[in-house]
Amino acid sequence: MVMVFTGNLITGSADIPLGEILFGKAYNETIYTILLRIRLPRVLGACILGGALALSGYLLQTFFHNPIAGPFILGISSGAKLIVAVVMIVSANMLFSVSGLFMIVSAFFGSMVTLVLVLIISRKVRNTALLVVVGVMIGYICSAVTEFMVTFADDSDIVNLRNWSMGSFSGMTMENVGVMSAVVFLCLVMTFLLAKPISVYQLGESYAFHLGVNVKALRVWLIVLSGMFSACVTAFAGPVSFVGIAVPHIIRAICRTTKPLVLIPACFMGGSIFCMVCDMIARTVFSPTELSISTVTAIFGSPVVIAVMLRKKKGQF
Amino acid sequence: MLLQTDNLTVGYDGQAVIEAVCLHIRKGEIVTLIGANGSGKSTILKTIAGTLEKISGRILFMEKNLEDFSRKEKAEKFSVMFTEKVHTELMSCQEVVETGRYPYTDYFGRLSQTDRQAVEEAIQLVDIEDFADKDFSQISDGQRQRVLLAKAICQQPEILILDEPTSYLDIHHKIRFLEILRKLVAEKQMAVLISMHELDFAEKISDYTVAVKDGKVVHYGKPDTIFTAENICDLFSIPKDLYHQYLGKMTK
Repeated sequence: MVMVFTGNLITGSADIPLGEILFGKAYNETIYTILLRIRLPRVLGACILGGALALSGYLLQTFFHNPIAGPFILGISSGAKLIVAVVMIVSANMLFSVSGLFMIVSAFFGSMVTLVLVLIISRKVRNTALLVVVGVMIGYICSAVTEFMVTFADDSDIVNLRNWSMGSFSGMTMENVGVMSAVVFLCLVMTFLLAKPISVYQLGESYAFHLGVNVKALRVWLIVLSGMFSACVTAFAGPVSFVGIAVPHIIRAICRTTKPLVLIPACFMGGSIFCMVCDMIARTVFSPTELSISTVTAIFGSPVVIAVMLRKKKGQF
Repeated sequence: MLLQTDNLTVGYDGQAVIEAVCLHIRKGEIVTLIGANGSGKSTILKTIAGTLEKISGRILFMEKNLEDFSRKEKAEKFSVMFTEKVHTELMSCQEVVETGRYPYTDYFGRLSQTDRQAVEEAIQLVDIEDFADKDFSQISDGQRQRVLLAKAICQQPEILILDEPTSYLDIHHKIRFLEILRKLVAEKQMAVLISMHELDFAEKISDYTVAVKDGKVVHYGKPDTIFTAENICDLFSIPKDLYHQYLGKMTK
C-alpha cells in the first residue's frame, strides 16, 4: 500500500511540470495561433509519444528479461523508420498523401519485422550484450538503407523527410495528435490489463507458468504492444533514442519497486516529462536552429544506460 | 488416490527419457524420487507439473485426466519449485511469497483478507518472519529456498512438487527444510512429490520411494525395501567395496 501510495505521489508531481510548461508557453507566445497550431500539438505530441516510448522500452525489458533492451537499441525504431520512409517516398512520388493511421500501420509493420528478426537471433544467443550488439547492427543497416533512399529521393518533400529521419517532434498537427492519442490510449489500457501477469512474468517464465499464466499469449501481447507503441512514435517523430531504455530505469530507481501497476503509469509519466524537457532543450538552446530530439535524449539517456550496466556488473547475474 | 500416473512416458521433443512410469501419491504422503544425475527425475516432475508435454500414457489427478483441468485450476492444486534460479529486482521476500496468491487474486492482482492471511500463515510456518522485509536478491540460498517454499505453501495446493530443493543447502538448512515438509504433510494433509540426492534423508522422510535408472523405474516401494546396500550400489553404479568404505554407516 505504501509503495502504491508513493507511486501515485510521484505520478501526481509529474503533472506539475506539465502544467508549468503549458503556462510558460502561454506567457511567452504572443500570437495565439502559433501557440495553438504549432506549439500545443508539439507539446502534446512529445507528451504522448514520450510516454509511449518509455512504455515500449518497459515492455521490451520485461519481455527479454534484459535491462538494456529498448526500441531504439534493438533496432526496432530503425526498422519502423525504414518502412515509413519507403511509404513516404512512394506516396510523395505518386502525389498522394498518407494519413497518420496508415503511417502507424506501416511503422508497426516495420517494427514487427525487425522484432521478429531480433527474436530469432535472441533464441540463438542467450547473451545480453550480444543481443544488444545485434540490435544495434540491425538498426544501423536499416538506417543506412533509409539514408540511401532519402539521398536518392530527390523531391521537395525531402527536407521534411530528412528532418524526420533524424527524429523530431516538429511539424506535429492537431490531427496527428488526435490519431496518436487514440492509438496510444488504447495500447495503454491493454498494457494495464497485462499488469497482473507481468508482475509474475518478471520472476521467470516457468515461475509464471506454474502460477497459471498463459505465458505464450502474454509474450505475444508484450511484443505487439511494445511494437505498437514504438511504431506510433516512429510514424510521427522518427526514431527517438534512449527514452525507451533509460526512463524505465529512472522510474524504477525513483519508485523503488518493480510492481507493474505502479510502473506502467509512472513510466508513461516519466517518458512524457523526459521528452517534453528534451524537446524544449532541443528547440531553445541553439534557437532558431533546432537540435534533433535524439541528440538531446542521448545526452541524458546514455549515462543512465552506462550506470545500469555498471551496476549489473557488480550485482549477481 | 490424489495423483496417479499410468504408463507415463516422458522426454524431450518426442524422445523418450523414461518409459512406463507408474506412481501414485495420496494426501498426506511424501514420495521421493532418487537416481543419478541425468537419470530423468526432473523430467518426470516437469511432465507432471505441465512444463513438458508427456509423450504417452496418462496422468490422473483426483481420478480425472490432468488435461481436463484449466490453467487456473492447476495453479490452485499444484505448487512447484524447480531448480531454476528466480531473479528479482527490488522485491522483498514478503512480496515474493505474495506471488503465490496469483491464482486467487482479482484482475489487478490485489490481495484480499484471505490472501493476506494465507501469506502470513505461510511465512510463519517456514519461519521467515525475521527477514520477510529484506530484499529477496540479498539473502542466502538457504533463506531463499525457504521463501520459495512459503510461496508454494500460500498457493494452498493439494500437491507440492519439489525438484532437488535441498541440494545447495547446508546440513542445518536441509534438516529444517525437510522438517517443514513433514509438518505440512501432518498438519495440512498436503501431498509432496520430491526428488533428492540425499539418500539418508530420503529414506527417513518418504512414504514411498521411486528409484530411476537407465530410462526406467527400477524400484518402487516403501523405503525400507529400497534403501539396501545392493540396490543403492546398483542404482548409482558404485562398486561394493567403495560403498562400504564411504556410505556404510548411512544406510543398511
